[in-house]
Amino acid sequence: MRAHISMTATDARGERSAAPRSRSRALALGVAFAFAAVGGQLVRLAIQHEGSGGIRVSMMSSSSSTLARPDIVDRNGRLLATDVQMPSLYADPTLIQDADEAAERLTRLFPGTDVRALRRSLTDKTKRFVWIRRGLSPGMAQRVHNLGVPGLMFVDEIRRTYPGGRLGGHILGRVDIDNRGTSGIERHIDETGASEPAHGARLSARAPVRLSLDLSVMHALDDELKRAMDRYEAPGAAALVMDVRTGEVVAAVSRPGADPAAAEEALDPQRIDKVAAGTYELGSIVKLVTVALALETGKTLDSLVDTTEPLKAGRFTIEDLHPLGRPMSVAEVFLHSSNVGAGQLALSAGPEAQTALFEKLGLWSPVKTEVSPGPAPLKPAQIGRIEQITLAFGHGLAVTPLQFAAASAALVNGGTAVVPTFLVRDGEAGAGPGPRVVSARTSALLREVMRRNVTDASGTGRRADVAGFEVGGKTGTAEMAVQGGYRKKAVIASFVGTFPASDPRYVTLVVLFEPKGQESTGGEITAGRNAAPTTARIIERIAPLLGVVAKASS
Amino acid sequence: MRVLNIVAIFLGLASAFLLYGLNYDTRMIEGRLQTREREAERARADIAVLRAERAHLARPERIEPIARGMGLEPLAARHLLPGPTVAASDITTSSTGP
Repeated sequence: MRAHISMTATDARGERSAAPRSRSRALALGVAFAFAAVGGQLVRLAIQHEGSGGIRVSMMSSSSSTLARPDIVDRNGRLLATDVQMPSLYADPTLIQDADEAAERLTRLFPGTDVRALRRSLTDKTKRFVWIRRGLSPGMAQRVHNLGVPGLMFVDEIRRTYPGGRLGGHILGRVDIDNRGTSGIERHIDETGASEPAHGARLSARAPVRLSLDLSVMHALDDELKRAMDRYEAPGAAALVMDVRTGEVVAAVSRPGADPAAAEEALDPQRIDKVAAGTYELGSIVKLVTVALALETGKTLDSLVDTTEPLKAGRFTIEDLHPLGRPMSVAEVFLHSSNVGAGQLALSAGPEAQTALFEKLGLWSPVKTEVSPGPAPLKPAQIGRIEQITLAFGHGLAVTPLQFAAASAALVNGGTAVVPTFLVRDGEAGAGPGPRVVSARTSALLREVMRRNVTDASGTGRRADVAGFEVGGKTGTAEMAVQGGYRKKAVIASFVGTFPASDPRYVTLVVLFEPKGQESTGGEITAGRNAAPTTARIIERIAPLLGVVAKASS
Repeated sequence: MRVLNIVAIFLGLASAFLLYGLNYDTRMIEGRLQTREREAERARADIAVLRAERAHLARPERIEPIARGMGLEPLAARHLLPGPTVAASDITTSSTGP
């Protein structure tokens, strides 16, 4: 540097004027600055943290677009879904020497592979990357490795696993090949931004998503439904248990179940989620709403209703199965499940009050949960006399069982609305009771009449009783709706229950699809003979799990 | 002036060596860090697999038959003695006991 400057100085033909001196100084300054810049850059490179910029070429980031998902656990922290790393197999066709040989060997390892398509992709030299198979077991990966075919390579990818199998499958939902949620809670996780792009198959470090479900209760429900389906030869069944105060779904099972890991099961119409995705006419359990309506409009349980004559509306005649031939009290309408009585109660309350109560209970519009946006209820376009009557006993309105359970919870919990949820509600106090739906008096009377329906010798729900747990409830047997009418002998038998009836903590809803008459049911297919005893078995099993202690005295 | 130049050159050389050494050490440490991170990542992946396996083995549908085989069953009303009797006797034994 010095030499350079002195050379420029002597080159100035001996003239020691001010101009060259200042020029040389400027030059020196410039060179010093350049050195400082180089030095600074060196220091920066030396202390720079790895990964925070610079050139890091990663094949993974270019090929993998998978998401890292947080675990899903039940309310007690038991694992329901988690990510694990699994090797995925890909090929670089430019490195494959004998595509035919490679394709043949691979098909031998993976039976059911399309050989031609595989051969075509392996011979396509324009590509440097083709997936062969994703999400291999370690053992399978080793066997592929042992083939020793050049050009076959592995990359670790994140795959979702569901240790519980089918249990809870409908609620958990599914993920696609890139680990993106396509339904259920998995989709909810993506929508709320709890998942993140997986850089280099790194597992998510986020806190697990805690559901309101209790795995043990889920299993008890699933097991009892399976038995009920065998016992009553029912091709389908659904049940749920909901906390009456918080609306938390503690357990929900729809059978036949759907394995979250088996994609083809998502398309099977038999395996639709009968709790939150299917809407059904639930029949007489809707009389719970009708009796609430009567009590809200000033009637008492002892008010008399004219049930001596069948109800006529246009060309329809509504009759009771076992008419008493005398006026009934409101309580008797409930206990005997009188269609005529329920129709009369609805008519005397008026269409506005009736639809207003359905609306307040959330039975009139879709109920959105984390699991699904909720299908729209099927309801009459306008409310005339006949619609009022049929709505009163649960026909002409199709809702999801989840929706109806939430409405029942509101009716028995003291009269405040609940929002059904599949996520655990931390700090119950923070949520507080929802908006009032019916008065506390109405709610108390409903609990009383529900309990009487189980304890009375003539009550339709007497087979739902479990010693010590004060079960109350209502049966419903609805003929199955088909195109243009109803199928006789094919019914949806349901039972909405609550326990303990004096101060309810949970509501249960059991729905059996097309149960058959058995020797044990006296050939009958009514809910009192199948859904009610199933509820009893369920409550007997789950109450201790839920911390509801039996009262030995009753 | 000359002394100053020598000192400057010396300092320049020294700082160059220092910088080189620092750079080299940093790379070493970075490499070690990466190894550790990879190990941690692998351990985390193993933990994920083990937790999934444990959850699979502890699933209720597998545990239930085992529990029933051991003679266990859900708590029912008949397992409980009438409340007041138990409570009263408990209190007397604990208060009069040694």
